[in-house]
Amino acid sequence: MTGNNSGSGDFKMIILVGLAVAILLSVLAPFLASSDPDGLESAAEGVIDEHTFAELEESEPVMGAPMPDYAIEGFGKAGEIGAIFIGSIFMLGFGLGVGKLFEKKN
Amino acid sequence: MHIPDAFIPLDQAIVYWIIVIPFIALSIRWARQEMDDMKIPLLAALAAGIFAIQAMNIPIGMGTSGHMVGAVLAAIILGSPWAGVLLLTLVLFVQALGFADGGVTTLGVNILNMGVISGFVGYYTFMGLKKIKLSMPIAAFGGAWLGLFISAIACSIQMTLAGIFPLVTGLAAMGTYHAIIGVIGEGAITAIAVTAIARARPDLLSQFSEEAVTA
Repeated sequence: MTGNNSGSGDFKMIILVGLAVAILLSVLAPFLASSDPDGLESAAEGVIDEHTFAELEESEPVMGAPMPDYAIEGFGKAGEIGAIFIGSIFMLGFGLGVGKLFEKKN
Repeated sequence: MHIPDAFIPLDQAIVYWIIVIPFIALSIRWARQEMDDMKIPLLAALAAGIFAIQAMNIPIGMGTSGHMVGAVLAAIILGSPWAGVLLLTLVLFVQALGFADGGVTTLGVNILNMGVISGFVGYYTFMGLKKIKLSMPIAAFGGAWLGLFISAIACSIQMTLAGIFPLVTGLAAMGTYHAIIGVIGEGAITAIAVTAIARARPDLLSQFSEEAVTA
């Protein structure tokens, strides 16, 4: 990396590292991630009475989401990879957009 | 630690929104002062990376799993706890609306726990540990662990206020699970990531070098 274009080289390199991490984790997570309940859910299961817990578990979110539980209905593992990949690529663009929007003026 | 809608009554959820909105506003003020050619791509890469790593639940035994939150890593890399607040706001927003991970009404409290509490506790613990001359990986580990642990304690107290967790057993369960998640999911990954970045690009973390911290 030399002289005047090192700035734009950095920019691309950092975005590419973000992209690589996103792709790697999207492909690995559906196979490696544990499906055990998370800390909050496990704690809830342990300390709340069974009836209330069942009610909470069955409650619907206030707003529906296009890819609930990081999955695309009917596409199995491929859908999970797709959901996490779409989400992380969206985040990359969202982060860039927010960064550009608030870019400091010289 | 993403709290679903049903876990917190709406009136309390609104109170958490009122508490967290000034923090989000200040994180935007931080961004307006800091976003340059280097920090814009870092913000984007961290947004994508934090989103993806949060899908990676690590088993911790006892039929439980947990994942990294990432606010402390973001705060260390971008050099401010406000970076953690801004990034977790973006990530939690997309998770709630796109993936039903964490409720929409409880988005405020989730940003408060995972962005504000975890980010600030973690970042200032990291700075304190650096000040007493602990190495970068150990300081990053300690900051990340405590950030996650304290945010889990806050979450447990909120569950008690919401009327669904008994205080003591709630704290014991949340504390135990997140003390372990904090070691594997938060502390270790943050320490490894910070070490890797310090080796590959020491300029990015130059403000935390020995001279800069002790000066």
